[in-house]
Amino acid sequence: MYLKFKNKKITGILSVVPENEVHFADGIKNYNFSEKQSLKLAKIMGYGSTRIVNEDTCVSDLCIFGLQHLFTEKLLNKDDIDAIVLVTQSPDYFLPATSNVIAGEIGLGEDVFCIDINQGCAGYEVGLMQAYMLLDQDSINTVVLLNADVLSKKVSLKDRNSRPLVGDGASITVVQNDQESKESDLFIKMDGSGAKSLIIPAGGFKLPSSEETRLHKDDGTGNMRSDDHLRMVGDAVFNFVQTKVPQMVYDIYENLQISDDDVDFYFFHQPNKFMLEKLADKLKVDRAKMPNNIVGKYGNGSGITVPLNICENLGKKSLNNTYKVILGGFGVGLTWSMIVCELKKLSFCSIINYK
Amino acid sequence: MDQELLNKLKEILEEDVLDLSLSFKDFDEWDSLTSLSLIAMVDSDYKITITNKLIEGFENVAAFCDYITNHEG
Repeated sequence: MYLKFKNKKITGILSVVPENEVHFADGIKNYNFSEKQSLKLAKIMGYGSTRIVNEDTCVSDLCIFGLQHLFTEKLLNKDDIDAIVLVTQSPDYFLPATSNVIAGEIGLGEDVFCIDINQGCAGYEVGLMQAYMLLDQDSINTVVLLNADVLSKKVSLKDRNSRPLVGDGASITVVQNDQESKESDLFIKMDGSGAKSLIIPAGGFKLPSSEETRLHKDDGTGNMRSDDHLRMVGDAVFNFVQTKVPQMVYDIYENLQISDDDVDFYFFHQPNKFMLEKLADKLKVDRAKMPNNIVGKYGNGSGITVPLNICENLGKKSLNNTYKVILGGFGVGLTWSMIVCELKKLSFCSIINYK
Repeated sequence: MDQELLNKLKEILEEDVLDLSLSFKDFDEWDSLTSLSLIAMVDSDYKITITNKLIEGFENVAAFCDYITNHEG
């Protein structure tokens, strides 16, 4: 699917990461693999440290912390907010929507629309799409997009497939109408036949959490996890990314009549360094134009990796410059999506620690 | 036998000499990472998409090499 949006602007991005840093080396003893094997994995995949929340920290806490920072620093006026779009797969509750909880906590008025969206690694593009659609209404001029997840709580400590890469955090993106902004082009595809390649099997209504679902089992390759834990079919996801993502980039080049030369950065989701290197090589894109340095520093925080990627790699430079970028996500759903847009002199673009 | 493919396998499996009659799981280095490295190498260098399940199904390394040689895109 190809959607065009006019006059939309990303005004600013703030990322919030938990202060608590966890190092790959400290987790090695939990895995059923030799130290040598695990160190080799870390080297190839680019694992280093991740940021993990404390047991009692939820998505709403990270979001409220970030929003209060923006209010205090006068980077966002509370009264300007017309809608809150929260993209998460680890909401505070099944119901109510966590966006409503956040709106209540920070004291937003009754005319502020709140919505939760269940999306993961493509959650930045899906969230922007929802924000853009809202902004097409005359009465809506400022949408706050929240991407936040605390999925570390759902990944087994003994799962060497997923544990070394999982990270928690939030990002807040202010999206507004702007008559001077160029078109934003969104490309998005979904394949529900792969829906179970990335899944938390138990804990919902289909298979409620029970003593049985909490039992740790070996997956046949040495990883121990329960049905309450996140499960990823690594090779299926790898193949999905390596075939579908390059094709979408080629479709973009063709549809928009642009080439790699027109693109300053590919800010893509970062499941691991290895995957990004393979993607860049396959597309014959300079690896420096497709940063892969987030996952080894903060972990893979699902939908927050793209905004965190922008904050880490552009940061203050984005305040005075304009960049033509392709934002890209791929993962749970299965979903893969890209937005071609300009990041034009942002009002803020930084990372803060959640304490 | 394709020498280039054999060299790439040696690199992934960290072996100086490759016994083609062995199956992948007989190698010390074999785990989910080496399997993924193999998938990635075959994808980038031979334009073939393979899965863990397919790899597990090969009786030995020789059968794998035959498969790649016959399916090269």
